[in-house]
Amino acid sequence: MAGARFLLIPGRTSKQGQQINVGKDHAAYQAIVSTLTMHADDMKELGVSAGASVRVRNETGEATFVCQPGNVPRGLLFVPYGPPTCRLMGGETDGTGMPTSKGWDVEVEPA
Amino acid sequence: MSCTLGEVKNRADLIIYWGGNPAECHPRHFTKYTIMQKGKYVPNGRKGRTMVLVDIRETPSAKAADLFLQVRPAKDFETLTILRALIKGRRVDAAAVAETGLTLEQLEDLAHRMKTCRFGVLFFGMGLSMTRGKHMNSAAALTLAAELNAFTKFVTMPMRGHGNVTGADVVMRYTTAYPFGVSLSRGYPRFNPGEFSTIDLLVRGDVDATLVLGADPGATMPQPAIDHLARTPTIVLDPKVTHSSRLARVHITTAATGITAPGTVYRMDEVPLPLRPPLSGPYPSDEDVLKRIVAAVKRKPAWEPAGV
Repeated sequence: MAGARFLLIPGRTSKQGQQINVGKDHAAYQAIVSTLTMHADDMKELGVSAGASVRVRNETGEATFVCQPGNVPRGLLFVPYGPPTCRLMGGETDGTGMPTSKGWDVEVEPA
Repeated sequence: MSCTLGEVKNRADLIIYWGGNPAECHPRHFTKYTIMQKGKYVPNGRKGRTMVLVDIRETPSAKAADLFLQVRPAKDFETLTILRALIKGRRVDAAAVAETGLTLEQLEDLAHRMKTCRFGVLFFGMGLSMTRGKHMNSAAALTLAAELNAFTKFVTMPMRGHGNVTGADVVMRYTTAYPFGVSLSRGYPRFNPGEFSTIDLLVRGDVDATLVLGADPGATMPQPAIDHLARTPTIVLDPKVTHSSRLARVHITTAATGITAPGTVYRMDEVPLPLRPPLSGPYPSDEDVLKRIVAAVKRKPAWEPAGV
């Protein structure tokens, strides 16, 4: 079954930046980069409760995140950059040298 | 068309952040350089400045903004182009405005503020430069800032990310004339993003060895690039164990610059700042290691293909 379609916007957060300097092996860092923020109404439609896992997939790869409600527009997801987002980032740079690091079309389903 | 952050502090009365979240990613930007400080020509500090945030989501930076404009995802280029038309007094298409997620009144108000400020600055982040449109978005922002100089003083500056990426660009520029994506394989510098840039080289498998200096591509790059780093000999110079050092064949532990080794870091406005280490440590600096590698390579006889 195909999952619901969303636009994933990875980004930076203050806590993630602090944890990078503490150490990427720490559980706190792993938790930060594996937590995805979704609009509460989208979570309801998807049948996902706060703290549940979701599988995010696109043409590059897939990763599993813990879902939490937050202040993002409907249809949009936010997740801090980290190894899980690397698995979803395509290698195409469109001749610029930069990969498309934001605005990925993804499918999401409960894991 | 740019300036130093000192000029922003002393002069800017209109500060626009576009596609960036400085409250989280550059937490000292507001307090040291942009909105909170009192400047020579902005004696009232925060009260004398207007801060505008343009982004696709309401980030913590929105709390610090006088005006928050929530633009639709991937509509930055269109919004910047509409602003370019508005500052010149051109008519804009209502349907094109509606697509941006903003109203004509909001955009006219921003265009008016841009034209009538004394010194405006547009800081743009990854939300503009690394999303769909990429360099075209950046070019639209730079063009808008340049054209505003027909009315007032207006500058623009990218919100650089990790520590000292600006330094890497500056040094590459004064040694090769280009900031990144430089090939020296013919003995002279050639610049071609998309061909000689790191991710493209790794994803295509064009390189058979990689030296990683002061970065952790294993936790930040696209997976196909990480896979190639793991397949081929990778050498990492880093003070810490990282995702990259784990996939590397060789990890040389180096001193942390600014803590146990001296060095120079370039601020995002390209001002160089010398670092004095407060502590001493057992590990060599990146520079020491690289000098020893260069000396060892020079001692080796030149490689020639067999049968020549």
